[in-house]
Amino acid sequence: MPDAPPRQPEPAGTAFWLLALGGLLLVVTGWLLPWFVEPTSSGVGFSGQDAAVSFNGPGTLLLDLLGVCMVCLLVGLAADAVRRRRSPQSPLPLTRARGAIALAGAALTLLIWYIVGVQRAEPLFGTISADAIADNAVWMTLTGFLVLAFAYGLRGWVLRHGGVALAIVAVCFGAAFPFIFNASNNGIDIIVWGAQFAGIYTLLALGLNVVVGFAGLLDLGYAAFFAIGAYTTASLASSAHGVHLPFWVLLFAGAAVAGLFGVILGAPTLRLRSDYLAIVTLGFGEIVPDMATNNAFNQTGGPNGLSGVDQPSLFGHNFGLFGINPKPYFYAILVLIVLVILVLRNLERSRLGRAWVALREDEIAAAATGINTVTTKLLAFSIGASVSGFAGAFFGAMLGSVGPENFSFAVSVTAISTVVLGGIGNITGAAVGGLVVSFVIFWVLPHLQGWGTTLGATTGVPTLGTIDYSKYTYIVYGVILIGIMLVRPSGLIPSRARKIELQGTQTESLAATQGRS
Amino acid sequence: MARTEVERPAAGLRRAGPVIAGLRRSIGGATARLFLPALAAVMVGLVLLVAARHGASEAGQQLVNGLQQGAIYALVAVGYTMVYGIIELINFAHGDVFTLGAFYSILISELLGRTVHLDLGSLATSGLAGLVVALAILFPLTMLMSGVTGVVIERVAYRRLRDAPRLAPLITAIGVSFLLEGIMFAGFGSGNVQAGKGGWIHGTAFTIHGVFVGWKELFVIVVAAALMVLLHQFIHHSRLGKAMRATAQDRDAALICGININRTISATFFIGSALAGAGALIYALYYNLLQWNLGFNLGIIAFTAAVLGGIGNIVGAGLGGFLIGLVAVYGADLVGGQWSNSIVFSMLIIVLTFRPTGLLGVQVPDRA
Repeated sequence: MPDAPPRQPEPAGTAFWLLALGGLLLVVTGWLLPWFVEPTSSGVGFSGQDAAVSFNGPGTLLLDLLGVCMVCLLVGLAADAVRRRRSPQSPLPLTRARGAIALAGAALTLLIWYIVGVQRAEPLFGTISADAIADNAVWMTLTGFLVLAFAYGLRGWVLRHGGVALAIVAVCFGAAFPFIFNASNNGIDIIVWGAQFAGIYTLLALGLNVVVGFAGLLDLGYAAFFAIGAYTTASLASSAHGVHLPFWVLLFAGAAVAGLFGVILGAPTLRLRSDYLAIVTLGFGEIVPDMATNNAFNQTGGPNGLSGVDQPSLFGHNFGLFGINPKPYFYAILVLIVLVILVLRNLERSRLGRAWVALREDEIAAAATGINTVTTKLLAFSIGASVSGFAGAFFGAMLGSVGPENFSFAVSVTAISTVVLGGIGNITGAAVGGLVVSFVIFWVLPHLQGWGTTLGATTGVPTLGTIDYSKYTYIVYGVILIGIMLVRPSGLIPSRARKIELQGTQTESLAATQGRS
Repeated sequence: MARTEVERPAAGLRRAGPVIAGLRRSIGGATARLFLPALAAVMVGLVLLVAARHGASEAGQQLVNGLQQGAIYALVAVGYTMVYGIIELINFAHGDVFTLGAFYSILISELLGRTVHLDLGSLATSGLAGLVVALAILFPLTMLMSGVTGVVIERVAYRRLRDAPRLAPLITAIGVSFLLEGIMFAGFGSGNVQAGKGGWIHGTAFTIHGVFVGWKELFVIVVAAALMVLLHQFIHHSRLGKAMRATAQDRDAALICGININRTISATFFIGSALAGAGALIYALYYNLLQWNLGFNLGIIAFTAAVLGGIGNIVGAGLGGFLIGLVAVYGADLVGGQWSNSIVFSMLIIVLTFRPTGLLGVQVPDRA
């Protein structure tokens, strides 16, 4: 263990001021907005007004406390700015007290929100309306307070423990997700979306990252292993074959079966050049859904697939139907993602992980240092496949039915674009890529129509609302993919280790300089 | 020559490893040597099986169908293999450039009808001379527009990423594919589109032992073959073709020799896409029905053909296309049309297992 660097007060830079300003803006906007835009007649939302109306006495007290927090923060920030003006070199006294005040503000917001019992009419990112803006004000205030707390008290700690901080924020956000976007009958579909698409695609991205990112093998048929996992669950926990194994066993059974198929496919073909491997996996990815559609061996149920898969249960509590009660599924997938991330992170730093990197960078050199290239590749391939099978097993139980149309080539393509878009060879990048891509495909594109209509109505340009946006979803998606890759060729969050490796070894090719001119 | 090594009983175990390795090598050598005869035998076996089950005339008829399908695959596969050979990119958008080519041909007919009042449809159905004139107008224009599309795609989506991580252009290729499909979807709708070339070529050319060979089939096969021969001559005997081959071999060295890399790569895209456009026109003439996402499946199969033939090898791509067309048709005849994709890809996996570089490919070291 190297010695920890001596603790020093971090000098406040532009980033700090931007952060503080942003947080302040969020707090103030979130606080003031409802007073102006919320229609007074339509129920109770979050605003000082509502809180005072619906909860006399303690409600106003809490609001006053919140106001005190805000004033303290404002004064503190102003004092910092003044001190900064006087002596620009001195580091800011980032006191814990102010951080605590900001956190208290966030807690108070939550409390008031809970007491008032906000009836959220619209989910965030849904159709834009005055109600929605007013309701989302809570989250603006809350986020603003948290940002300020970070900027004031926790900044030094966060800078030293970036990964842990990110993990905490991600897990907290994930855990709070169903509550943030909950409430109304419309609001439920964002949790369904979160569990079904974002969660599953994040798992797929994590698994594919092992194959493509760590080991550098291009896999274009990743959906096949996903399908294998799903069909394993569907055949062993449904009335289709009269077998009813418990869900938690099947999760790992699905992973094991998919891993086995990974070995079976990989063993003969891994000596191919990487692009030949890509086309072989692509072929495999076409054969598996084909077999499912054509009801191979009379086991797959043909084009209709298998339905009536048992609902998972935990300690005797049945999860219920996904469409009606998505929350347990959402939390289960969250736990699975954390689990997979932990396993993959350790794998990445193990002997095997280093062997993968060596293999990716130079296969001949890796073989010369005594790495068994075949086993190492095969392990990457089958571990990636088993993560996919794991996700598939969960997917099958979640939807309750499995059909071949869920595993088309489009799924493989989406999985590979999540990995590359997020940043190849980087667990955080893969997870972020999974979230971003599924957000775009399954949330932004289907909602274009609604947004266009609202926008047309509010801006007074009715043509905006009459355009048939569903015709242009492919174009929008294509342009987004091209745009992101052109702007950030190594992904949204490039792998730091990979960048260092490449910088050290690769001299810029002559032809590349010409290509850029 | 005297043996220097003394045999010892304990050495038997230690020598097991090399023996197994040697055994594998000799098996590998045998499969390499026997591969082409085995493949030929399998093909002949397929034909005989179909003949035995459905009669000789059906087997012959399927030979014509297979060659006709294969011709289209081959024309598309050539584009894949050229682009891959020169910039090592799996150009996912190529299948959609193909489809776009078919739609271009519709647009061109319409445009000519509107502007100069030239009705290609009635001209083509008026007689042989009219047909020849119509095709002589349509082919160059479609190929030109497809070619330009390919060049624009390369310029916008691939050129800036030439030195980026290898998978970045793959994702832009997928993006371009979505974009093109989206444009066709928005422009022509989700249903079947009539290409308006239904009766252009019709009738039976000749009949051998009950096998009907239509003018249409003959046209498809002959035009595709002619284009491929032309391309082969161009690549091997022209200055630009030489530049292409040099760039594919070593881009930096080619640059040092004074080859304009950007222009060469653009030319490669132009030729590949123009051939896809020609293939699309042939497709439109043959089937007369188009869909916006037609190029997707066709592109995958054509790419498979390119890999099967040995990627980077133009003759291989042509061969692979015809082979896949035949296997798909005969296989579908034997076990049902719904399995034709599975058959094609199983064949690909088996072939690559025994011959990792494809049929005509040579062993090329992976670029680090």
